[in-house]
Amino acid sequence: MRRFWILLSTEIKALVRDPISVLGGFIAPGILMVAFGLLFGGPLSFHIAVINRDAGPWGAVLRQTAGEVISPFGTPYYEVSGLPEDKAWDAYHAHALDGVWVIPADFSTRLDAGENPTVEMYFDNYNDDRAKNHRIYSTEIMWRFYKKIGRPGPPLVTAEEYPRPEMVHWFPLIAVGLAVLGVSLGGMFNVFLLTYKEHIAKITLEYGMAPRSLAWVLFPKILLALLMALLTGTALLFVVYLLVGAWPGRFLWAVWLLSGLVAVFWASLGLVLGMRIRHYMAGAITGVFGGVIVFFIGGGLAMVRHNWAKVTWLAWFFPNTYAVDPVRDMVLFRSWPADWNATLLILVGFALVSLAGGMVLTARQLRRLG
Amino acid sequence: MKRFGLLLLNEFKLARTALPVHLVAIFQPMLMYLLMTEVLVFATFDMYVMQPTTGEGRALVAAMREVGSPIGLPYINPILVAQEDMAQLETTAPRQIITVESRDGVPTAVQRFGLIDSNQVKNLRNRLTAAALRLWNEALGDAAVTVEEHPWLPIDVPYTVYFGLAMLPMATFVGAVFIGGILTAQDFEFRTIEEFRLAPIAPIWILAARLVRLVLSAFLSAGAMLLALGWQTGYWPDSLWRVGLILLPVAIVGGSLGMIIGLAYRRSIPSLLTGLIAAIGGWILGGAFGLVAGFGVLYQEISRLTPHAYAIELLFPRYYGTQVGNPLSAILALALFGVSLPALVFLAYRWRVLRQE
Repeated sequence: MRRFWILLSTEIKALVRDPISVLGGFIAPGILMVAFGLLFGGPLSFHIAVINRDAGPWGAVLRQTAGEVISPFGTPYYEVSGLPEDKAWDAYHAHALDGVWVIPADFSTRLDAGENPTVEMYFDNYNDDRAKNHRIYSTEIMWRFYKKIGRPGPPLVTAEEYPRPEMVHWFPLIAVGLAVLGVSLGGMFNVFLLTYKEHIAKITLEYGMAPRSLAWVLFPKILLALLMALLTGTALLFVVYLLVGAWPGRFLWAVWLLSGLVAVFWASLGLVLGMRIRHYMAGAITGVFGGVIVFFIGGGLAMVRHNWAKVTWLAWFFPNTYAVDPVRDMVLFRSWPADWNATLLILVGFALVSLAGGMVLTARQLRRLG
Repeated sequence: MKRFGLLLLNEFKLARTALPVHLVAIFQPMLMYLLMTEVLVFATFDMYVMQPTTGEGRALVAAMREVGSPIGLPYINPILVAQEDMAQLETTAPRQIITVESRDGVPTAVQRFGLIDSNQVKNLRNRLTAAALRLWNEALGDAAVTVEEHPWLPIDVPYTVYFGLAMLPMATFVGAVFIGGILTAQDFEFRTIEEFRLAPIAPIWILAARLVRLVLSAFLSAGAMLLALGWQTGYWPDSLWRVGLILLPVAIVGGSLGMIIGLAYRRSIPSLLTGLIAAIGGWILGGAFGLVAGFGVLYQEISRLTPHAYAIELLFPRYYGTQVGNPLSAILALALFGVSLPALVFLAYRWRVLRQE
């Protein structure tokens, strides 16, 4: 055991001398968090202008309705601009407005007479997702409008039931995914950088000639990487708490457990890469971009369990894809994951296989060098 | 000029010392795009509906099938679930299930959500409303309000096109900033900088040779990205040379910034991390997910600090056939970036190398 502590303290000293390996796991998720916060953290309303040419009263009601129907984001679907008509068109053509609605002069007359009243909706469709939103948001507005003007009720009404009293928003969902990314990169970078440095400093030669089992050398590395991964992930979770107020609370141990298993996978990968890759920079860039790709394809932007069929096959080879939703359950929904046992089993499998594979491959490489 | 040619040749030979970095920097953005297009938003949502037993329920399902873009994709794929399969379905934690039932004698489509976020709730709610509104409009007949659509473009363009277009400047930038940063830092680590310092040639030629090779590697990365975008979406730019011209200042900025980072740190690892921050930050803040004007004033103002936003404005017409923003100001901004960053490289070189003679 004494040997283990000596080697662990050696690793820690190496880490203290080169603290940049700690930042490696924090930087990419940190930047992405700020960037996604800027993109999706604020109100997500569409900015439109409603040009009301209606001579009657209903145009004004429709205009008012357009700005008051609240989306699940807690903000109106449309933020209706007060720009005059000419400026509204200029803004629309400059893409500063997402759309323009034009209510024609005879709108009220035709509405009252039941003569096919129309509204013109001008909108951006350079991106089919935004075009889709324009189409389906407008239905929410018309639904409310019919109710306001006292049309005969719909043949079918709608109702909603939620599992929780409060809504979890989109950015927190992304932010938790980034914390899991931080765990992955934090573990991998730590072990990758330190092993690489030992490799180029030829310390690995000494390891290779060690008379004892190389497990004494490799376990401290994995342990330190695990600790750094959890530190990085917890720091990122703290950032999530500061930004959106979500914290796992009594589930923290379970979040650490799942994250730790993910970290073991990545740390083992980092161990193998650190021994084999001759070029640190290429390995580091690949590691970061690889991690970011896994974040995106493995449920970084949306829940995996609700997009099961659309998750690309490659994502299933990484534990993050399995871990991210249960972690979200505990951090955001504050509920115990329904698939806890299955997830734990899968992650243990990933961790054990990668740990065994990583240790064997690295030990073989070390012995060959020795 | 002969010396410049020799320096340039030396720069290309230097690529051998960092071949993996070149491969990663050149091909990683393309790979990232190809993988990410697999998971980007899909307009068509699967929506579970319990097998309807009433006329209203059947009409709702029929209406759901009709909700969609008249010039694009359907928005709902209703999946009917038999009553006896409901318990089984609920164990898979679906994001929502719709049942049509009678509440106080009123036919009601009840949408039961799973543990999902507000964006998913919004999308699912809107789709159900769109289907239910169709039924209401049918019931209202001529008294229903028709929303006449006037989309900007004749067809809804897939999101993957914009996303790929926005990755062109990113790929260009990455191809230059990483390699520039690492090669410059390696000059200090391998002491090549001593040879440059003693060389009987003006530093401007040394820097120019490096910048030229960085621009070329940036173009390789952009070329790979352009091919991936075209292959994935079938959208190709109308003029390749114009795309090259637009990306040229981005490549110069990326290469210059990489060299400045390398000169500042003189070590590969911090240079790499800073290059990474610049690459990811510039991409996301420069309009990675949509035209910057659509994301609010703060985001728009921040995006103006990146060359990416201007490049996207100029690339847009090449793919969509129509203009966005103010091309003249975008050209001027890119020109300013393209001139000022190399000047900063020269100053940084003087500060880090020449002053220490």
